[in-house]
Amino acid sequence: MKKNRLIAGALCAAVAGTLTLTACSDGGDGASDSGEKEITFMFRGGPDEKAAYEAAIKKYTEDTGVKVKVIVTDADQYATKLQASVAGNNVPDVFYVEQATLQSYVSSGVLMDITEQVEASGVDLDNIWSYGVDSYRFDGTLQGTPEGALYALPKDIGPFSFGYNKTMLEAAGIPLPDKDEPLTWDQFVDISKQLTVDTDGDGAIDQWGTGLNVQWNLQSMVWSNGGDWTNEDRTEVTVDTPEFAEALQKFADLTNVEKVTPSASDAATLDTYQRWMAGEIGFFPVGPWDVSVYNELDFDYDLIPWPAVGDAGTATWIGSLGIGVSATTKHPEDAVKLVTYLSTDADAQQTLVDANIQIPNLVDMAETWAAEEGAEPANRQEFLDIAQDYGRAMPAAFTYGAEWYDELWTNIQPVLDGEQTAADYLAEEQPKMQALLDESNATAEQAAAGK
Amino acid sequence: MTQTADVAPPTTGRRSKAAARPGGGTHRLHRSEHRWALAFVAAPIIGFLLFTLYPIGFAVYASLTSWNGLGPMTFVGLENYVTLFQDEYFRIALYNTFFYMLGIPIGLALSLVLALALNRRIPGRTAFRAIYYVPVISSLAAIAIVWQFAYNGDFGLINQVLAWFGIDGPDWLQNTATVKPAIIIMAIWKGLGYSMLLYLAAIQGVPASLYEAAALDGANAWQRFRSITLPMVRPVTFFLVVTSIIAGSQIFTEINIMTPAGGPEFSSASVVWYIFRKAFKYQQMGYATTMAVVLGLLVFAITLIQFRINRRNDFSID
Repeated sequence: MKKNRLIAGALCAAVAGTLTLTACSDGGDGASDSGEKEITFMFRGGPDEKAAYEAAIKKYTEDTGVKVKVIVTDADQYATKLQASVAGNNVPDVFYVEQATLQSYVSSGVLMDITEQVEASGVDLDNIWSYGVDSYRFDGTLQGTPEGALYALPKDIGPFSFGYNKTMLEAAGIPLPDKDEPLTWDQFVDISKQLTVDTDGDGAIDQWGTGLNVQWNLQSMVWSNGGDWTNEDRTEVTVDTPEFAEALQKFADLTNVEKVTPSASDAATLDTYQRWMAGEIGFFPVGPWDVSVYNELDFDYDLIPWPAVGDAGTATWIGSLGIGVSATTKHPEDAVKLVTYLSTDADAQQTLVDANIQIPNLVDMAETWAAEEGAEPANRQEFLDIAQDYGRAMPAAFTYGAEWYDELWTNIQPVLDGEQTAADYLAEEQPKMQALLDESNATAEQAAAGK
Repeated sequence: MTQTADVAPPTTGRRSKAAARPGGGTHRLHRSEHRWALAFVAAPIIGFLLFTLYPIGFAVYASLTSWNGLGPMTFVGLENYVTLFQDEYFRIALYNTFFYMLGIPIGLALSLVLALALNRRIPGRTAFRAIYYVPVISSLAAIAIVWQFAYNGDFGLINQVLAWFGIDGPDWLQNTATVKPAIIIMAIWKGLGYSMLLYLAAIQGVPASLYEAAALDGANAWQRFRSITLPMVRPVTFFLVVTSIIAGSQIFTEINIMTPAGGPEFSSASVVWYIFRKAFKYQQMGYATTMAVVLGLLVFAITLIQFRINRRNDFSID
């Protein structure tokens, strides 16, 4: 009898062993042992963001008495980890959500509708960049419209601006570009040519006018030439228009015809980014997240509007990342409060802004910040102009997934190398992208119907 | 009732074994041993059921659904499989994955040569063995980042070395023609130490008498290698081929780190990299699972064929 019991015990231990594995991963929600409330916050970011958030969260805990368990991941691992936590029914109470995946998280019931709680919390949404707030509104069919229900608040908005190496232009005796009047494309190419030289006389060019990355810089060129990726209601891919082709061709020509960039094979971001920081490149994009690093460089730089390819005016994109609340959180009020805190609390915003990694989410605060005397870069106002005035959402920000959009980049190398014309390539790509967009729209409809 | 057994289990146990033998396992204690054995066997079996069989069954079901990995699954039958056979990117990824396997025979040949060399009494032998083994125990992610720098077209180590010999090296990872060979070279380097170690052990396990007999018969060094060493390390070669192909079909980390976008024109994307992208970037978990199931079946079939071939060869040796 006793042995039977022992065997049963061994079996139980074996089973329990496997069960405790799942039990162990079930930490993080609910009350901690001491009876204090604890919520989990999962995000991704570098050391600057981590430090800034730790300060912001500390203040939240002091104010509310609610503890926050922070989970930080690498940028690469975030999506995987979040999806695993959803599959494991262990979603963090508060977490980052991307514009492009918002719809699938909403239709799958992972994200909580926080419209009412945010309104009740007394947050003045009008004082937050409307682009940032509207990005996380979704009415069941369209995302990014002011009427939809709110599913997240912006962690930040990232107006992607353009900068120039002031020290280099001054040394070359080139008049500095105007901060209000965008350069025409010809002017931009002309200055770039003057900057592309061999400075030490060893026969090899070691300073270039610019060095752009097609994935992040083509948008500005296409939009300023009157082209776009899709039609207004995001049902038709319009990359095969002459405006689009001209912009892409001009992008490739910078390297192959004008020869004002390092060679095409070096255009991978890392290389031109490193060269810009080494002071070898005249014009380069600047995002708010770059400022803390760029301010430490050996040269002065400032911001200008993006050069315009056509006559549709200067244009660029605004990135954004949202902070949402899990639909299954046990502490909805506290979780929403943490979101409003991270997104809109003035002190918390100041911590983040002081770290030089983002512009303030609060409009009035941003205006003060932009007007600051002796700030670097001096023309901080450009970030605000983009946020308020001429910035746009990324082409795939509000579609159900970005696969159709990524397709354009997959086979683009021959165009950048000058082996294929932009028009030919885009004519080939349009049907492929259209098929993927159709698929994504069909999935979105299915998901909305299934809800 | 069970008192006697409890008081002195070792002695009774030993005695009972002897006594039970003619009786044919009907003794109560013998039965209890069986039960214990079952209990111990149960642990891995339950583990297998929970962590292998159940996930496989789940994957097969998921491959028949449209599922974003978050919400409910919608059953769509074989639709994903139909899509898969028309998916040009899957075909390219499959081709790339098999292309990477070209590195396996090269790596095995190199590691056998190394093992032979390090089996001799050369100075610094221990140091060399350690040096070749270091990449095996290093983190693959860290190695991939280091090699990514080494392959850089402008200031990478590889092209600097090539420049000494007047060769203008390509931008390895940005070029459709060189990205796969570049990754193969890295994978060979990384795996060399492991295969070498196994070969070294196998070579040292070959009885010296065989070599002596062969030497007496007048066999030269090459003949001894061909007719003794090579056949004697065959089991290790077989083991390495099988495991390398299984591991090679799952190549992912180095691809994802060295060419995050799948290489120029999808030229470095492997099947698992494509699965990962579909599942976690585009929320097409159902379709990604379909690809995983197909990949699993392919690997299973290949391994089965290998075992068949190996068995046939065994007979011919005997």
